[in-house]
Amino acid sequence: MFLALREIRAARGRFLLMGLVVMLVAALVGIVSGFTTGLGNDTVSALRALPATHVAFATGARSDQFNRSLVDETTVTGWRQRPGVEAAPLGVTITRGTTDRGLEIDMAAFGVEPGTFPAPPVRRGTGLDAARPGLVVSGKLAADGVRVGDTVTVDRLGLKLPVTGVTDDLSYGHVPAAYLPLDTWRDIRFGVPGARTAADRLPRDASGVVLRVKAGADLTAADRALGTSTLPMSKVLEAAPGYKGERVTMSSIQVFLYLIAPLLVGAFFAVWTVQRAPELALLRAIGASRRRLLSYTVMQAAVVVVAGTVAGGALALATGLLLGAAVPFSLPAGTLLATLAAVALVGLAGTCLTLRRVTTPDPLTMLGAAR
Amino acid sequence: MSLFLSAVTVTRGHGQTRTPVLRGFTATFAPGEVTALVGPSGSGKSTLLAVAGALLSPDSGAVELDGADITRLSDGERTRLRRERIGYMFQTGNLLSALTATEQLLAATYVAGEGTRRHRPRAVTALEEVGLGDRLRHRPDQLSGGERQRVALARALFLSPRLLLVDEPTAAVDRSQADAIAALISDRTRAHDCVTVVATHDPAVIASADTVIDLDAEP
Ligand SMILES: Nc1ncnc2c1ncn2[C@@H]1O[C@H](COP(=O)(O)OP(=O)(O)O)[C@@H](O)[C@H]1O
Ligand SMILES: [Mg+2]
Repeated sequence: MFLALREIRAARGRFLLMGLVVMLVAALVGIVSGFTTGLGNDTVSALRALPATHVAFATGARSDQFNRSLVDETTVTGWRQRPGVEAAPLGVTITRGTTDRGLEIDMAAFGVEPGTFPAPPVRRGTGLDAARPGLVVSGKLAADGVRVGDTVTVDRLGLKLPVTGVTDDLSYGHVPAAYLPLDTWRDIRFGVPGARTAADRLPRDASGVVLRVKAGADLTAADRALGTSTLPMSKVLEAAPGYKGERVTMSSIQVFLYLIAPLLVGAFFAVWTVQRAPELALLRAIGASRRRLLSYTVMQAAVVVVAGTVAGGALALATGLLLGAAVPFSLPAGTLLATLAAVALVGLAGTCLTLRRVTTPDPLTMLGAAR
Repeated sequence: MSLFLSAVTVTRGHGQTRTPVLRGFTATFAPGEVTALVGPSGSGKSTLLAVAGALLSPDSGAVELDGADITRLSDGERTRLRRERIGYMFQTGNLLSALTATEQLLAATYVAGEGTRRHRPRAVTALEEVGLGDRLRHRPDQLSGGERQRVALARALFLSPRLLLVDEPTAAVDRSQADAIAALISDRTRAHDCVTVVATHDPAVIASADTVIDLDAEP
């Protein structure tokens, strides 16, 4: 560290500048990663919260399945009878409503059969009851001012639903989730305003069948027999509107940052090494091994890259705090650390691109040279 | 304990720039003595220093330092030899711009892979010996040309090398500084009892040398 730190101190302006650039790149990577996680949660946290391994959709629905797919009761029953499978119907539709205190809300209505495993855990109030209509709202709606005891009137239909409980901060397609009995969900999904369709005349459909599959269950055979196509949860997330597009956008920003970071650091150290070439030749002449020159240069790179990355991480965290709850931003410590480690690694990799030049200055140039 | 060169032949450059420089140079250098290498520019003074200093391998001939031939060493072994047994003082560019005068000397122990802290008092003494006791914290750009050369001399001798190789030490300093540096080189050579070879055309350095070798007069 003897030479590494003293050279940094002597060229502190340049190293500070480089550190700031690394800091900004690291901060940007951190912030993008915060938005990736935040937006991801906003889009699919209600799906992730399902204690399920698979979802079976109607075969005809190839994309945006929660919107397009409809499965009838026979299919649900068929799935329930398959060995090694626990099945329950789920309806998903986005709607809006107004509370009796005049608060207008958007909600992703999740229709579940009360008592089945897709029914949400309740943090406050009581859960859904098959005997009467009710609504268990996402913690996000509670934060917006919806309370247990309020009545939500579904716009367009005039359907009145008492809020009985509050579950976790779950949402779907950037809309807070609200859980209600599947029958009520069918009223919302299939009901026509004005026409008082009797409940038994509405289709007995759901959007899909949520599955808990034990190892060894033959899903392909079940799909063929029941006319469904079953997706594992990882693919089910992609069935949510916008999820895939957001992912691709955010990851491509990150990929570019991971390419930019080593190039910036590499370019800086290339210039730094060229400037130092006469002194590197002197050090070689007085007997410094190539290894010593390499190790102290890598040490210098580590100092700027690590300091810049740590500062960038702090900046990303501060940004997250400043943005507050209004913005879908989530940067858990583990994610942040992994991101920062990646930035530091690619930064150091950038230095390694230039290391060859550290050992090339020729000590012979010291002799007979008047510089 | 001495330096012995026998029948050293060196050709420099490749192809069009290929130049024969030394042809069968032979000489013995004794410890505690300053040998001045003289000759017009281009006569091979720096080349001879490079060969003696394990920076350049001769085409043929032997270079014996303390009885061991150094011309057959590997690159790594020559680097180590330079670090452990040889001190260098060049015409210019001897110092590292980020370091103070004291730290220039400690850089030698750093290069040798030793700690620097415990050598600090000795570095201060060494700088006092070359008359720089009041310039300990000065960086190269805060020192005069002559002061920089004196720091360079102290650094070259800091690890007590057997061989001190000096290339045109006074070419870039004024007359009075040149005289002082010539005197210091002789004085330090006796104090350290090392073999000192100085390439120069400075009358003051030549006058203070114990032996003079004129490369132009070589066969
Ligand atoms: N890298 C090189 N390629 C070709 N010729 C060289 C090279 N270095 C030195 N020379 C030639 O070698 C000769 C001796 O150079 P040098 O030892 O530096 O002389 P001096 O130090 O006495 O001035 C000169 O004619 C010079 O042109
Ligand atoms: Mg010369």
